[in-house]
Amino acid sequence: MAISLDEVRLLIEAALPGADVEVVDETGTQDHLRATVAAPQFEGLSRIDQHRLVKNAVKARFDDGSIHALSIKTEPK
Amino acid sequence: MADPQLKDKVEELIREHKVLLFMKGTPEEPRCGFSMRTVGVLDQMGVDYAALDVLPALQPLREVTTEISDWQTFPQLYVDGKLVGGCDIVEEMAASGELADLLGVEQPAQAPVPQQPQPADPQQSPPIQIDS
Repeated sequence: MAISLDEVRLLIEAALPGADVEVVDETGTQDHLRATVAAPQFEGLSRIDQHRLVKNAVKARFDDGSIHALSIKTEPK
Repeated sequence: MADPQLKDKVEELIREHKVLLFMKGTPEEPRCGFSMRTVGVLDQMGVDYAALDVLPALQPLREVTTEISDWQTFPQLYVDGKLVGGCDIVEEMAASGELADLLGVEQPAQAPVPQQPQPADPQQSPPIQIDS
């Protein structure tokens, strides 16, 4: 079941209010996605903790198979 | 709820190996693009590392790493007993020089780029098998 890029973006924005979020489809099949996120909540966090916040935002869609792979790039805002 | 025996085994592996990669497939035959890229980075760094193929026990290992590290996706690179991250983080840290520092090696002359895995280094530990 494919997932819309908007839905992924909205999930991340909901989990990280104030973040700039961009989600693109890496392969055209809507299951290998790339999320680029700049969020105030990342300030002071290690890269891995920043990535955890993003992954937790979309966890349900990982678990149900909608997202097969998600590349993440984060930076504090 | 993770299998306690498997969790103990995984924690033991993380303690025993300075550099440990949980991946899909093996360094010689990666079975996923992210795992292949992570292997490529480690090979460029020139460090010895141990590799565990998660595919034979994927869901049980996801449960274990979720409990140990709050992280469910593979590949996962552990250095000195701590989760460093997946492919994205490893590649970023390799490019910035942080990974070379963490591993205690010199930064390779070129910034790492995704490439085919190299033939196995004879000094590298053989892929770990877990009997589940």
